[in-house]
Amino acid sequence: MMNELVSDLSAVRAEAFLAAGICVLLLFDLFIRDRHRDLTYALAMLLLAGTGWLAATAGGDGRVLAFGGSVVVDPLARVLKVAAALAMAVVFLYSRPWLRERQLFRGEYYVLGLFALLGILVIISGHSFLVIYLGLEMLSLALYALVVYDRDSPIGAESGMKYFVLGAIASGTLLYGMSIVYGFSGTLNLGELREYAAGLDGVPVFLLVGLGFMLSGIAFKFGAVPFHMWVPDVYQGAPTSVSLLIATAPKLASIALVIRLVAEALPELLVTWQVILMTLAVLSLLIGNIVAIAQTNIKRMLAYSAIAHVGFILLGVATGTTAGVEAAVFYSIVYVVAAAGAFGIIMLLSSRGAEADQLDDFRGLSQRSPWFALMMLLLMASMIGIPPLAGFYAKWIVLLALVEAGAVWLALFAVLMSVVGAFYYLRVIRLMYFDELPGGAPVQAPGDFRLVLSINALLALALGLFPGPLMDLCTGLLG
Amino acid sequence: MVPSVLFAIFAGVLVLSALGVIIARNPVHSALLLILCFFTSAVLWLLLEAEFLALVLVLVYVGAVMVLFLFVIMMLDVNVTRMREGFTRYAPLGAIVSGIIILQLAGAIWLRSGLPAAEPLTPREAGHSNTRELGAVLYTEHVYAFELAAFILLLAIIAAIMLTLRQRPGLKVQDVSAQVKVQRKDRVRLVKMDAEKDS
Amino acid sequence: MLNNYLPVLLFLMVAVGIGLILLGIGFLVGRGQKDPEKLSAYECGFEAFEDSRMKFDVRYYLVAILFIVFDLEIAFLFPWAISLDEIGLYGLGAMAIFLLVLVVGFIYEWKKGALEWD
Repeated sequence: MMNELVSDLSAVRAEAFLAAGICVLLLFDLFIRDRHRDLTYALAMLLLAGTGWLAATAGGDGRVLAFGGSVVVDPLARVLKVAAALAMAVVFLYSRPWLRERQLFRGEYYVLGLFALLGILVIISGHSFLVIYLGLEMLSLALYALVVYDRDSPIGAESGMKYFVLGAIASGTLLYGMSIVYGFSGTLNLGELREYAAGLDGVPVFLLVGLGFMLSGIAFKFGAVPFHMWVPDVYQGAPTSVSLLIATAPKLASIALVIRLVAEALPELLVTWQVILMTLAVLSLLIGNIVAIAQTNIKRMLAYSAIAHVGFILLGVATGTTAGVEAAVFYSIVYVVAAAGAFGIIMLLSSRGAEADQLDDFRGLSQRSPWFALMMLLLMASMIGIPPLAGFYAKWIVLLALVEAGAVWLALFAVLMSVVGAFYYLRVIRLMYFDELPGGAPVQAPGDFRLVLSINALLALALGLFPGPLMDLCTGLLG
Repeated sequence: MVPSVLFAIFAGVLVLSALGVIIARNPVHSALLLILCFFTSAVLWLLLEAEFLALVLVLVYVGAVMVLFLFVIMMLDVNVTRMREGFTRYAPLGAIVSGIIILQLAGAIWLRSGLPAAEPLTPREAGHSNTRELGAVLYTEHVYAFELAAFILLLAIIAAIMLTLRQRPGLKVQDVSAQVKVQRKDRVRLVKMDAEKDS
Repeated sequence: MLNNYLPVLLFLMVAVGIGLILLGIGFLVGRGQKDPEKLSAYECGFEAFEDSRMKFDVRYYLVAILFIVFDLEIAFLFPWAISLDEIGLYGLGAMAIFLLVLVVGFIYEWKKGALEWD
């Protein structure tokens, strides 16, 4: 029993370290003065570094099951966990000056952010319905609270309320689907469920019903059409530092959720969920790209753009092939890089209480700050998918996987929608370079913010020029 | 025989009271009917011999969660007539959605292909403890999920305090510990002065 | 096992029965003549000024939600206490961590002043 305990704990060491660290951080923050609040930030960053390192080394090189098969540590888990910890570190770094200017610089932001990360790690490693659901609840609870983090903002309270009510329904739907599947298969464990499904002759209806409910819940958490209603409201209503958080790391949990619950657990039902995922993907691409054109608020525009990108990610998973799933993981990571950079630029421009969340705030950015206008250009170009940026390569491999899987029409549709999507990204570029804003002051920000933001944007270029290393990480994910 | 009759009675009450929850005009009545729902579902769980879960349902949901519900209802001062305005507009959509779900479930139940019929439950002997069985797996086999639950509870504490606790500036309150530990020299100052003389 | 709960069932039946009978007798035998004036709220002879329901302070909510959290914690203790001889040291350790995490939460709410009314 004790040997087993040691190996189990070693498999979940990143989660255990982060959980213990959260408790320490919470108590530490309670007993320090306001002017020492930077120490909380430093401690949170240290925790993230430790978590990332432990997550990268957990489970050796192979695939390890722990706690009676309810936790899995495999290459997919390692890649996504490290990416999530990195994304959260970038979020914390971008948020600090923004929160400080608005008197929102409190320890709770970091505690809740780390709780969200803990939920993400648990989902990524989840290998039983129970663990995945608990991870998802932890993530969602932390996000609900973060959306209303600025209590005096009425729009924040409204969007938090919407998010909470819709999110609770989605959690219920997911749980209902899980309980139906559990009720008939008699197992919570995804490995046992896979064996059970393989042993069936024909596909029983209950499994389809359960899968349908589960997919609705997942699609909601992912923000795929027609379960996307919350995305624009939450992105717009939440404080920008929270929108940044929601737009980045949780996407990595969502892709893990789809892969674990659907692609890994129920490959026998490929034909069924393929159709559902493709429908979700097509609708997301269509609605996301077209509605984004009509937006004047850049946070809302990025929300619709997120919906469109989710469509692409789901297309990759829907192929059901290893190449498709790997492409989807690659795409998610590249998307997180671009989204973090884009929100970083918004926060860079938001100064002294004024929020730069309108598209018009980007007018004449090339004169106010030529360097960051160039960075935004790179990020937008990566989101469009212009070679040689990372977004292009990510779209390219998803399309390749689609064509290989025989879905040529879907690939064509995705390309068409990308062209439509290019319109609203190009509008941002046009505003920055060809419009003028009289009286625009030069952009000011702390040195570390500028440095990391530049690296972030240049990463979108570097990953496109040299996709090899990341692609190597993303191959052989599914053991 | 007796259990199935009891099941029919309590399931009937459950469905009726659930219907009442959404039909009742007064939100407080809805909340009270919801309590009845919890009670009857607890009885249903008891019939399945899940006694611990049944009792926890009564303890936690009826004892604590519903109190919270009532607080929220009274805190919000809901205007029922205004809430009902959209009802006829959204009713068809709701009916369609629930119709689809009912059809799905009915299909799943009737068409379950290739599955053996559910075996009847064999009643346990009198000394059997369901709670003990639950404990034997909850803290060993599912220990990871159990500890995660602790962290979710911690998160709930933090979120609730962050959202509702508000320091009111300028509030005049007594600090009892300061009152107790106060010393004579903090309150009384003896001043030496010459006696006044009549001029 | 269900036989253990027979007294509860009997108790329920008696309770529901007495409740129904008492209400039924009042309904059948009583000679109430109801009219809107009699049923309306009485406030010293003039029309009621406002609804008697008023808003609660949000602080009640905080107390209630903190109560629920610790109520759930207690609920987890019952099966643990009953099966402790079976799960041994492992279970003891598991519950120790569980309680420790909630103690952290308790310290947090205490220090934040969430347990104080003002």
